[in-house]
Amino acid sequence: MFTADVLIQLTIDGVSRGAMYGLMGAGLALIFGILGIINMAHGELFMLGAYAMYFATMVLGVPAPIALLISTALMFCVGVAMERGLIAPLRARLGSRWLVDGYVLTIGIMVVLQNLALILFGPREFGIAAFWPGRQEFGDVVISNERVLILAGALFTTGALALFLKKTNLGRAIRATAEHPAAAQVLGINIERIYAITFGIGAALAGAIGSLLLSTYPAYPTVGGEVLLKAFVVVIIGGLGSVWGAMLAGPLLGLIEAYATAFAPGGWQNTITSLLVLAVLVLRPQGLFSRQVTRP
Amino acid sequence: MTSLFQKFRFPDRRALVICALLAGLAAIPSLVGGRYIPAVFTSILLFFILGALFDFMLGYLRIVNFGIAGFLCAGAYGSALSVQYFHITPWTGLLVGGLASAVIGLITGVLTLRLRGIYIGLTTLFVMETLRFAISNAREVTRGASGLTVGGFTPLFGIPFPRSEPITYYYLILALVIVTYAALYAIVRSRIGLVFKAIRDDELGTSVLGIHVVRYKLFNFVVASFFVGVFGAFYAHYIGILVPTAEEFGIQRTVEILTIAYVGGRGTLWGSLLGALFLVGMQEVLRDLQEWRLVIYGLSLILIITVFPSGFAGALRQLGDRFSSRAGKGAHISTKGDA
Repeated sequence: MFTADVLIQLTIDGVSRGAMYGLMGAGLALIFGILGIINMAHGELFMLGAYAMYFATMVLGVPAPIALLISTALMFCVGVAMERGLIAPLRARLGSRWLVDGYVLTIGIMVVLQNLALILFGPREFGIAAFWPGRQEFGDVVISNERVLILAGALFTTGALALFLKKTNLGRAIRATAEHPAAAQVLGINIERIYAITFGIGAALAGAIGSLLLSTYPAYPTVGGEVLLKAFVVVIIGGLGSVWGAMLAGPLLGLIEAYATAFAPGGWQNTITSLLVLAVLVLRPQGLFSRQVTRP
Repeated sequence: MTSLFQKFRFPDRRALVICALLAGLAAIPSLVGGRYIPAVFTSILLFFILGALFDFMLGYLRIVNFGIAGFLCAGAYGSALSVQYFHITPWTGLLVGGLASAVIGLITGVLTLRLRGIYIGLTTLFVMETLRFAISNAREVTRGASGLTVGGFTPLFGIPFPRSEPITYYYLILALVIVTYAALYAIVRSRIGLVFKAIRDDELGTSVLGIHVVRYKLFNFVVASFFVGVFGAFYAHYIGILVPTAEEFGIQRTVEILTIAYVGGRGTLWGSLLGALFLVGMQEVLRDLQEWRLVIYGLSLILIITVFPSGFAGALRQLGDRFSSRAGKGAHISTKGDA
């Protein structure tokens, strides 16, 4: 019943979907690593990116690649503004005890953005069929061009993010801040700037993925909720705050979902994923790929 | 006589406020009559006690229970399903719902309360989602998204509880709320409550004193889970139909409860009454603003956190302090707003 080409098909589907989850998770992990809060509004940044992409391409008629850049840049600005306008003042006021409040603050932002979108755009789904219609055939394995595009986009973004964090000065500064904020500050890194930029990058990643996935997840007010849950799963499996862990866990989750959908009776794959996350939280709270030995 | 009077002056004033409040809560819906007002007050009381239970965890031990709606769900379905399949009465169902939720709380707590605070938040979130997904999928048992019909409360001591008379349910929840609140208040005021505050203010320092921090957290968490489950069970028999949606038993319900606790003022328990009166009341008064409702919830949350972190309770306390210092008393205990 499940022949080799079906398995290949499932694997490709899973990896391309999962790479996107990985990137969402990477943004979330980056923000968690630097600021120490789980950004509950991350799904809403995805949603805003999707709306921006839709309006740029379908209403204003901007070519898709340029629209993608616009939406990514726009979401970077939104992220920086969110950090500077709301999160930074809270951190300044509460000092080291701001974490719980910071976490709840992002819930407030999530609720406001979600419902403003509902009021402004209504519950309608703004989606497109495909940026690149058609499909590729390799023997019995059929892959839609859109999937190829998404997989390429995910791999490109993952590579770019990795290079940025590994090789550029800003990327090094971000990693240094994640590791030891006080030491980074002594070395002349402007921590406040790193906070803002990191939040911006996380937001830009979410926006870019929201734009790229417009054919899979059309823009509607609560689309972020579903995506946020996936990003959470990825971040927990990969280890809280671990960007590399999230990038690895993404494709893993994608594969599990793809196989679970094919093998388990309809609807149960969500339960399976949640149970898996609970198992990781209980058995390996530091994440599957973490070498951390200290108590989390 | 005078010294006795002075000694009991402060509790007396408090007792007076509580009696006035209870009398008001007992009288208003029956004086106004009709069905609408009792229903609104029932939902105010329900949100008040859920906010207070959330605050019992957050405001005293900094446990963020993101899955509080999941515990509500466990209580609701626990009671409804056992009434349907094991033919117990809804009254036993209240206990069964509470126990179902407490067991989930115990397991979750044992497994994650020893970890950093963020883990309990994430774990409860996923416990909630797992429950909700499982209930949606187990259609043969729970009827899934088409909704589980639940019967009302059966007559007790000859008092009938017809759903057509919301006032009977209102008095029932009033009694439940009083019992629950008294239990929470007793815990918070006892030695255990002192330990809670010590842990909240300095967890490491408290553990160095030889206090088993995790055990206190677990006690707090399981007690709160139990009561949330009881009110879940009440909700099931009150509302009559259970649907496993995010609005009912998912993240959105959690956000509502959390906002009420924050807006009311953390670390006070009673603040949630103000939060519930404000948010539920406002949403009833501004019915036309349906879609702006959640925007207002979110904005109040943002405003409270960034501008006025001690909430309504903090504002009221400041007002009370000013009043009593002007009257030249100023002798009562002034507790600082929550850190």
